[in-house]
Amino acid sequence: MLTVGSLSRAELTARLSGDGLVLRTGPFTNRIRSDVSPLIDGLALMYADYPVEPAGGFVDFHLELQRSGGLRRWHRSQVHFTYDGTTPFQPLPLGQAYPMLEWTMNWCVSHRAHGYLIIHAAVLEKHGRAIILPAPPGSGKSTLTAALLGHGWRLLSDELTLVHLGDGVLVPLPRPVSLKNASIDIIRAFRPDAVLSRPVEETTKGTIAHLKAPQDSIARALEPAKPACIVFPRWEAGAAIALDPLPKARAFMQVADNCFNYQVLGARGFTALGALIDASDTYTFRYSSLPDAMALFERLAQGPA
Amino acid sequence: MWRLTPGQALACREWDGEAVLYNDLSGSTHLLDGAALDLLLALRDEPADAVMLAARLAERFDAGDDNLVSLIDEMLVALAGLDLIEPC
Repeated sequence: MLTVGSLSRAELTARLSGDGLVLRTGPFTNRIRSDVSPLIDGLALMYADYPVEPAGGFVDFHLELQRSGGLRRWHRSQVHFTYDGTTPFQPLPLGQAYPMLEWTMNWCVSHRAHGYLIIHAAVLEKHGRAIILPAPPGSGKSTLTAALLGHGWRLLSDELTLVHLGDGVLVPLPRPVSLKNASIDIIRAFRPDAVLSRPVEETTKGTIAHLKAPQDSIARALEPAKPACIVFPRWEAGAAIALDPLPKARAFMQVADNCFNYQVLGARGFTALGALIDASDTYTFRYSSLPDAMALFERLAQGPA
Repeated sequence: MWRLTPGQALACREWDGEAVLYNDLSGSTHLLDGAALDLLLALRDEPADAVMLAARLAERFDAGDDNLVSLIDEMLVALAGLDLIEPC
């Protein structure tokens, strides 16, 4: 299997600036074209283990991230995102090209992949039990996810939980985990083995660095998982660890609030979310200590006693 | 008298005395008390007023509550506000 890591830098650059690099992420193929060096650096590091598809096959998403033309090419260079000929985002400084690629790939899925109920949530699996972590901003979801990945959990996704509308299974979309601000140093200290991209400062979300997805999670990207728990995390300084049951009808409403396309799907979304809630134990979770959280999640992975 | 708003399929799920219901006409999802869902289900077959509903649901509600009819009336107004039922 051809992977990004098996391409030389020259071959990778040539594909990106030519017909495009066709990158497989979970169930999707992304054709990426770009001439922006920081993006190529990030892509080469974070996606080394990902399959590259042959040119000419079916592609789900066509993405172009190109350097601005004219005077902007030299003065405060920017990167522009074009999707199927449209430009849904404002241009960003050139140094933010790699985070922009991640955001654009998320945007493509959340706006186009309506064969799934898409929840803004991380999802990880261990011992055959998948746990969904919905993510209001500031919940500490990505920090928790990055920490769990060092404790034998499989990454299905850090950002986009895909619930198959047909059979309710969780379809993996393992991609790099986005860490913000203080989380970057917390994870560096907690997981010295973690591979992180170069931090990019002054984005709209502050300083961003991405954590490389585990190789095993990428290799198992076509292996769906069954939902076991939905846990709403909240990091709170100094808080004692607490896992409390959340009534299922309320959990339903809160997950719906965290979906990208629940409204788009209408009654199909209602049915899919009802089945997901049926299959899951639902909790709120408050924590301040990552080691305590690791121990508690291990118990959740073991299932009911 | 009240009836279900025409077109409502009453797609709903109930857990532990609370329910979620998909409103076919508005596309909204509502979190409902189990008692409110009981009222909607009792209206599914034929229109009724609060007195008739109190009788229909006597076994499920506290039939000894003197305020039952007025409580049901209040619930009906709230359900009408969500476009789930309408006067007829």
